[in-house]
Amino acid sequence: MRDSARDAALACRDLSVDYGSRRVLDRISLVVASGAWTSIVGPNGCGKSTLLRALAGLMTPAEGIVWLEGLAISSWPRRERAKRLAWLAQTSLPSDLTATECVALGRFAHTGWLGSRQTNDESAIARALQATGSTGWADRRLSTLSGGERQRVHLARVLAVEASILLLDEPTTHLDPPHQEDIGRILQDQSQGCGVTILSAFHDLSLALMADRLIVMSTDGLVGHGTVTEALAGDWLSQAFSTPIHIVQHEGAYLWKPRLGSAARG
Amino acid sequence: MNAANPVVVVVPQTEFGVGNSRFAWWLVGSLFVTAILTGLSLVVGTSTIDLSLRWLLAPDALSNAVLWDIRLPRAVGAWFAGALLGLSGAIAQALFRNPLADPYLLGSASGAALGVSVCLIAGDASMSALAWTGGLGLTGSAFVGACAAIGLTLLLSRGGLQTSSLLLGGIVVAFVLSALTSLLLLHSADTYRSVQAFLLGSTAYLSWHSSLLLAMVFAVCVVPTVLLSRGLEMLTLGEDTARSLGLSLRALRLALLGLLSLATATTVGQLGVVGFVGLVSPHLVRESLHLSQRRMLIAAALCGGALLQAADLISRWAIRPAELPVGVVTACIGGSYLILLLWRRTRNA
Amino acid sequence: MYRRGALALLLALAFCGGGVRAEPDAGLVFHDALHHELRLARFPRRVVTLLPSLTETVCSLGECGRLVATDRYSNWPERVKSLPKAGGLDDAGIELIVSLKPDVVILAHAARVTERLRSLGVPTFDVETETYQDIAATVTAIGGLLGVPDRARLLNREIEESLQAVTTDAKRDLRGRSPRVYFEVDGGPYAAGPNSFIGGMLARLGARNILESDLGPFPKLNPEYVVRHDPDVIFVSERSASSLADRPGWGSVRAVREQRLCAFPAEVGDTIVRPGPRIAQGLKAMADCLVRVAP
Repeated sequence: MRDSARDAALACRDLSVDYGSRRVLDRISLVVASGAWTSIVGPNGCGKSTLLRALAGLMTPAEGIVWLEGLAISSWPRRERAKRLAWLAQTSLPSDLTATECVALGRFAHTGWLGSRQTNDESAIARALQATGSTGWADRRLSTLSGGERQRVHLARVLAVEASILLLDEPTTHLDPPHQEDIGRILQDQSQGCGVTILSAFHDLSLALMADRLIVMSTDGLVGHGTVTEALAGDWLSQAFSTPIHIVQHEGAYLWKPRLGSAARG
Repeated sequence: MNAANPVVVVVPQTEFGVGNSRFAWWLVGSLFVTAILTGLSLVVGTSTIDLSLRWLLAPDALSNAVLWDIRLPRAVGAWFAGALLGLSGAIAQALFRNPLADPYLLGSASGAALGVSVCLIAGDASMSALAWTGGLGLTGSAFVGACAAIGLTLLLSRGGLQTSSLLLGGIVVAFVLSALTSLLLLHSADTYRSVQAFLLGSTAYLSWHSSLLLAMVFAVCVVPTVLLSRGLEMLTLGEDTARSLGLSLRALRLALLGLLSLATATTVGQLGVVGFVGLVSPHLVRESLHLSQRRMLIAAALCGGALLQAADLISRWAIRPAELPVGVVTACIGGSYLILLLWRRTRNA
Repeated sequence: MYRRGALALLLALAFCGGGVRAEPDAGLVFHDALHHELRLARFPRRVVTLLPSLTETVCSLGECGRLVATDRYSNWPERVKSLPKAGGLDDAGIELIVSLKPDVVILAHAARVTERLRSLGVPTFDVETETYQDIAATVTAIGGLLGVPDRARLLNREIEESLQAVTTDAKRDLRGRSPRVYFEVDGGPYAAGPNSFIGGMLARLGARNILESDLGPFPKLNPEYVVRHDPDVIFVSERSASSLADRPGWGSVRAVREQRLCAFPAEVGDTIVRPGPRIAQGLKAMADCLVRVAP
């Protein structure tokens, strides 16, 4: 394994995860490029969420090791790790918190148990709200917001951590297309504008292809990881899904073109 | 962001934003209610109200004993005990994310009953045992029994990492200890009645000493709980999210469970098993307010205090000069309220 | 002789609710307190009792030998301790009782047990044991059941004479004092009211109960009631005696301050709380203490 793995923001070697007796990930080794947005794609059951959670340090692997900034993730003190890694879960539980209170929780790693919010905390919260366009409902309770508005508030919480690495598990599930666009645009701003490392698992191929790099997985393991161009050149997606996947380029964006009707029959 | 949204960012300066003044009013209101209930406690009892008032104006040795050694410490002790129960109920419901959780869910009630039974039976069995248990007393035995039961539950659920295994462990321990208690009581018919009385709960013997103890335990429990409330708030976002934000789930759980256990065991030792106060107080608070975890914990404590004071008053007034067990009164009040909640919920569904 | 004895018994028991008729063809017929009819070929030789007072009654009538089993709480006289134990009134060991093939089971107000035993063909005989007056009636009823009515009459007379003797001595020794008394049955506090049978005994001794009769036989009191009424003497269990002063406000009660407490060990307590033939001993224990500590 190259030494650069240890210098990268996030990397793993021989990572294996079991669910009971079932091995979900088998000896995965990869480096997550710093400052880029990487998408994990693959069919259901290939272990996208599992890989993401293992890299976030939320599960203990059966074998292998995960490195965060060159140090094994399990040896990071909890608060320090929390300052560097921010996690967005797939589903959120119903909550009575207001949007601002929710975003403020993102500052826990900085303020700790007893600390009160300082000016830099306040400005981080304000910036996060602004970046996600959530200032309009900053004082409303999460339970009164729509799904899209709520997801943006949770994303604002993730941004408020001011971590260098964001890990997002299916951040656009159950969102309408306009909201999916919003999320995608925010993530692009963050990675290109602010140099944040983003790692996200996406179900939707077109959204996944908004990223700079891809990690393509199949049920048999890792198919490949690299830039989107490399992935398309190597037709990794078709290998992963075991069926021809057709990607077109349109106005600077990569889109998945489903084969329907006569084209499929032909 | 769209054109309708101005670029100016409004950042609320207070930590909890909305409802500040409403909460303040609620606090004042609950303290006011407590003051009234305490005042009523002085005049309600085995004497008529005007006799009690006359005592206040023209005290003598007897009336002083009744008013200041019996009635006032009962009111004060009941408030602190109710506050402990309300606080414990709020902690249990937040920790287990279950609106039906109550302070006794770790088996403390059954443990206390077993402790009391052992104390009574051992005391009858021999004089030396009586001396030993006499030092511990019924309150001490109940406390030890409650702690032992909780310890057993934690052991069964292997350190309490999973809330579901904790809940199951609590149920199992409660069943097993109740069965053991019943077995013990078979041998002595009148001990059975004493243990029954204990299980129904009683504020009858609250002295200044008990009130002081309850107040100290309340202070010891409420401060750390409020400090840990931020953790509870993070827990509402989900366990993975909470952990990723830097929270040690295990430490938070153990700390809160420890506080819950201390609060419950102390209350059970002094009052016996008084149900429904811990279960109902958080719900009553949520009726009128939406609150952050920190405020919910404080409000539930204040609500529980007033509730138990009111129950104590009713238990003294209803069939005077005889007395209802206070646990029966709280069951009636709490049970009726829960029926109302359920009715409303099924009607809205 | 059969018929004469039965007739005499009928007259004696006419006001009690227990009755025996002898019919030459049908054997013996008894009526118990529930007005059930009990037909037996002869007087029962194998008897099970399910209350300590009933056990004591049978033995005081000299018929201890007929007992084949008692309840678990029966502990007097010594010889009954070795008998098989058939549980309590609420949870009698049905199988054990049936397997012993008793001629009759004597018990008090246990509907479930009575139903079950009767349905299994075991004869039951119900008695009342609530009040002071029930003691004599129970002795008579059981005496009739066992075929020893004369001894029953004798026992009743003995009991009454002992009670009278105790009462007379007590009144003499009290020298006109009529102490105000609080009898605590259990921590709680549960007190004995004037209508309870303990209350009746206290009244016989000339003591005044601080409880009013409208509170019922064993009310759960507000502890301040005792403080307000300031009794002269307190009857309490040994277990609670030492902690009375710790109860808030009770330090000012005269009986506590001057230690005018009557606390009885369990064996003595049994004679007081069981409405049975040893009632006079119980009354004597109470009287002795009262005379000793009353102001």
